[in-house]
Amino acid sequence: MTAPLLDIRDLRIGIRRGRRPPLVIVDKADLRLGRGEIHGLVGESGSGKTMVCRSLIGTLSRRGASVLSGSVRLGDLDLATADEAMWRTVRGRRIGYVTQSALAGLNPVVTIGAQLKEAIRQTGTTGADADRRAVELLDRVRIRRPEIVARQHPHQLSGGMRQRVMIACAIATGPEIIVADEPTTGLDVTVQAEIMKLLKAIQAETGVSVILVSHDLALIDAVCDRITIMHAGTCVETGTVAQVARPRHPYTAALNRSRIELAAPGSELRTIRGRPPAVGTWAPGCRFADRCDGARPDCRTGEHPRLAPVADGHMTACPFPDATEAAA
Amino acid sequence: MTPPLLRATDVSVAFGRGADRVRAVRGVSLAVEPGESVGIVGESGSGKSTLARVLVGLQRPDEGTVELRGRSVFEGEGAYPGALRRQVQMVFQDPYTSLNPRMSALDAVAESVAFHDRCTRAQARDRALALLGDMGIPPGDAVKKPRLLSGGQRQRVSVARALAAGPSVLVADEPTSAIDQSAQAQLLNLFNRLLRDGLAIVLISHNLAVIRYLSRRVHVMRDGEVVEEGETERIFGAPSHDYTRTLIASIPGREAAGTEVSPQPTTRDGNADRRIDLQAL
Ligand SMILES: Nc1ncnc2c1ncn2[C@@H]1O[C@H](COP(=O)(O)OP(=O)(O)O)[C@@H](O)[C@H]1O
Ligand SMILES: Nc1ncnc2c1ncn2[C@@H]1O[C@H](COP(=O)(O)OP(=O)(O)O)[C@@H](O)[C@H]1O
Ligand code: SF4
Ligand SMILES: [Mg+2]
Ligand SMILES: [Mg+2]
Repeated sequence: MTAPLLDIRDLRIGIRRGRRPPLVIVDKADLRLGRGEIHGLVGESGSGKTMVCRSLIGTLSRRGASVLSGSVRLGDLDLATADEAMWRTVRGRRIGYVTQSALAGLNPVVTIGAQLKEAIRQTGTTGADADRRAVELLDRVRIRRPEIVARQHPHQLSGGMRQRVMIACAIATGPEIIVADEPTTGLDVTVQAEIMKLLKAIQAETGVSVILVSHDLALIDAVCDRITIMHAGTCVETGTVAQVARPRHPYTAALNRSRIELAAPGSELRTIRGRPPAVGTWAPGCRFADRCDGARPDCRTGEHPRLAPVADGHMTACPFPDATEAAA
Repeated sequence: MTPPLLRATDVSVAFGRGADRVRAVRGVSLAVEPGESVGIVGESGSGKSTLARVLVGLQRPDEGTVELRGRSVFEGEGAYPGALRRQVQMVFQDPYTSLNPRMSALDAVAESVAFHDRCTRAQARDRALALLGDMGIPPGDAVKKPRLLSGGQRQRVSVARALAAGPSVLVADEPTSAIDQSAQAQLLNLFNRLLRDGLAIVLISHNLAVIRYLSRRVHVMRDGEVVEEGETERIFGAPSHDYTRTLIASIPGREAAGTEVSPQPTTRDGNADRRIDLQAL
């Protein structure tokens, strides 16, 4: 594999608590994002997806958290140790961000055009040029009558339109990466389909790489090139969509099984037993052990297993191949 | 012929007046029988929730009737007179806002039991615990406040609360929209079990995969109207309305390359292979 654009290794994120040991939220996260790739980040809610995203735009501290160890390489930079000065050159410039709630991501009292110009200004474009560019960007995300929309406020737009505006803001500086954290959760399926089509088109037009967070495997399958699966703060499997469709980790296998669009109507759906262990209650060994049909005594001792390769580009954090078969 | 368990006929609801008038529901009819699920799909604003509120008696229709086993539901001023009230219960999209944050799951369900049945507090608690256990909420979690439960657990608590009334019809308004995939599978298994036990379920969702999985019949709503209705299998296989086609085309559920789909098990009604190939659409 050629050098990835973004290389997250052994990332540990947590909350420092004075003299007590930190509360670890993400542990042993590994993710390699290739150039021009749409990479899906999947996992049940609470698995740490948003924390990983925040580590890419330097907003962990807003949740009281910070990077405890590990590295996040973007070219020559290590974002794991970035200070605010470095973040100003990365956040919203080299890495754009689209949040789940565009209402939270957009300023309610500022017009769409003004918010876009704020982003555009970072590229050195101002005045009438910036106005033109703002309209151009709205056009780019397929918003009709962009001149009118530029003068409107976020609440005047539908949820889908707001997400388009968020995407326009995210691409305003010509970033290398867009991080989209559940950009369509809560939107209608038809709107979701349009937003996904747009993301794919923008990717193809600009060559930008995308990290797309979702708990919807069907969506991820349809849109992404590669997938990383998170469980209880760690990455348990990664590979191409086709590779992960033949899972090598019991958790991925269990997620695949619980998909309704692959089930016969009315048939008993297989579910995943229990819930992921909560932050602060992680026992030694594999954090999937309490839910795993293939678990054995060895699974409950030592460190949580790290991702290890099983094929080119395909890695799993389960060292026991027969465990996935037991789950399937 | 015995009348259907729950039947709505030509129901219309409008809000506001003059230029602000919104015709939220326009001449919608549907019926549901015991042990059957009827699905309602449509984009937001299509009138699904308003229709749901009419079915459970929270919204009086401007026109049309709702009957439970042939008895009109909107009699006089109120809705669901006397013993009919408990028969039709609702589960909302977001259990976070529909559950009292200061009340434990157990208290919320026990309160509903006590409201509908004359019983002692101890009896109400026992019955609530049993119901919650049925929904996969163990006693240890039952005593927790909603914010300490997962989204999926909260949704199963609100189902337990609805079932505490002993209803024959459950109207579920987007019950899976706010929960993740594995929690969704648990809830749908639960609904399936309730169907087998004879409950009727009106399932509202904008997720067609959910409807396809649970509901034998479906009504497709747009701008307050039903634009297409019938067997889910037929409508998914051969939609006759453009809008339905758009909805189906929006499902991201194409099968991953290389996924082996197991041979189709026999379904409830004995039909093998009611699976719909979403990729072919
Ligand atoms: N300030 C905090 N204190 C304690 N736990 C936190 C804090 N912020 C987040 N968490 C926990 O971190 C975990 C991961 O959160 P998040 O990254 O938002 O998950 P996801 O996006 O996958 O749903 C969750 O279990 C959450 O409860
Ligand atoms: N209480 C209300 N007052 C005014 N308009 C309403 C009210 N409830 C719903 N509406 C309108 O009725 C239409 C249908 O809404 P709703 O039934 O909530 O649709 P859905 O559940 O399909 O999203 C929408 O245009 C909505 O704005
Ligand atoms: S077999 Fe052991 S290591 Fe593998 S997923 Fe199960 S519990 Fe974890
Ligand atoms: Mg999140
Ligand atoms: Mg609604």
